[in-house]
Amino acid sequence: MRAGALLASWLIVGTACGATRSGDTTDAVTVFAAASLTEAFTRIADEYGELHGVEVRLSFGPSDGLATQIQEGAPADVFASASPKWMDAVAEDPGVTDRADFARNILVVIVPAGDPAGIVTVGDLGEPGIKLVLAAEGVPVGDYAREMLANAGIAEEALANVVSNEDDVKGIVQKVAPGEADAGIVYRTDVTASVVEDVETIDVPDDINVVAVYQIAALDGAAQHARGFVEYVLGPGQETLRGSSFLPP
Amino acid sequence: MRRRLPIGVVALAALGAAFVLLPVAGLLDRAPWDQSAELLSSDIAVEGLRVSLLVSLGAAAMSILVGVPLGLLLGRTSFPGIALVRAVALLPLVLPPVVAGIGLLTAFGRRGLLGGPARAIGLELPFTTAGAAVAAAFVSFPFVVLAVEAGLRSLDTRLEDAASSLGGSRGYVLRRVTLPMLAPQLVAGTVLAWARALGEFGATITFAGNFRGETQTMPLAVFEALQSDPGAATLLSLVLVVASLAILIALRGRFIGAPT
Repeated sequence: MRAGALLASWLIVGTACGATRSGDTTDAVTVFAAASLTEAFTRIADEYGELHGVEVRLSFGPSDGLATQIQEGAPADVFASASPKWMDAVAEDPGVTDRADFARNILVVIVPAGDPAGIVTVGDLGEPGIKLVLAAEGVPVGDYAREMLANAGIAEEALANVVSNEDDVKGIVQKVAPGEADAGIVYRTDVTASVVEDVETIDVPDDINVVAVYQIAALDGAAQHARGFVEYVLGPGQETLRGSSFLPP
Repeated sequence: MRRRLPIGVVALAALGAAFVLLPVAGLLDRAPWDQSAELLSSDIAVEGLRVSLLVSLGAAAMSILVGVPLGLLLGRTSFPGIALVRAVALLPLVLPPVVAGIGLLTAFGRRGLLGGPARAIGLELPFTTAGAAVAAAFVSFPFVVLAVEAGLRSLDTRLEDAASSLGGSRGYVLRRVTLPMLAPQLVAGTVLAWARALGEFGATITFAGNFRGETQTMPLAVFEALQSDPGAATLLSLVLVVASLAILIALRGRFIGAPT
């Protein structure tokens, strides 16, 4: 009985100690990427993994949240951020190498198919009674959207219409596509094949639009494939990013 | 009478206690105490607490309203398919909360099954405090059902029999005999439901969204703070730890397993 209990506790401790950085496995690379990169990076990871026989583990989320996780010691090898702001944070702690711009993106307004609230231009987002969904402040697309609304001169009216501050850009799509909200501000790359039937897109004029700059870097002490993955994104992966409507860096 | 336990059991028990204590110790260690006054009086904390109280109390009230009758039905009657009804009633306990949220949207959302009728009478749940309370009630009312049903099983039915033989109507017996005897289980079930509602996250953010002062409960506030200000998140987390501990101590283990 005693031996059994001891064995059990050793097993538990042993298992706990076994769960260390994934980067220790030579044939795997863990990539933390902004939620807006979900479709493009899933494809790039498949391509890269097949090409090099490497297992690419992907974790998508809001750039600010991913940066916090990395600073808390999450086992990331590569970080792809939708804003230089959060790459700055990670560059400071724990440190990065091979940092580079790899894509740009612009904002669009999405409304549910059929446009129930009759939104035609960005200016309509300030009309009273519109249910608008943004990403929370700090989330890159949330900050960019607030900047764009300020450029349009309707920040106050539009922000009064916000009914939810979503955790990441995919949360906005999730609220607008089923028609729960009247409009949301997302990247144009978020109007993916899976939701193109459910939403209509309203372009944001260039003079008020905000350009999101995406940066990628390998983290200090990352697995050996981290650099290779970064180079792939900057090279052959560009075509896939274009295919997902990202703009060149 | 106390018996000595094998040392291995004691060691594993200590491991179990440490499992819970260490994360709390971690929170205490990491919390930015020097900013505590400022953070705890900030909008995100004050509004989060206010919304959490509203939502969890609303959820507890709804849990009683639908949970008690359902518990009575399951504990007192027998009909074909009762096993299925019982399983469905307890489904929210095991369902991932985000699934509950999606389900609620498909039922009560604008384009949901009842979305049209609900809007016709001016009731819109998504993005409202009422919606957050509905989400919390959905995941927490099975606690009341379970408590009532378990209470009925251990109830001495002779008192009820006596009451009806003396001419008490069904409603009278229920009101004046059955429910008062179930009071301890009702309190326990309601408090557990309230505590579960207080911690609700997934169904709330999926169904009701995240807006400060409206649907942003404490767990949602913690999650939002965590993305950009982890220090604030630890401090807000500790508020929830203290609140939860207070609930458990107030119960003194009486209704949740420990002997009186």
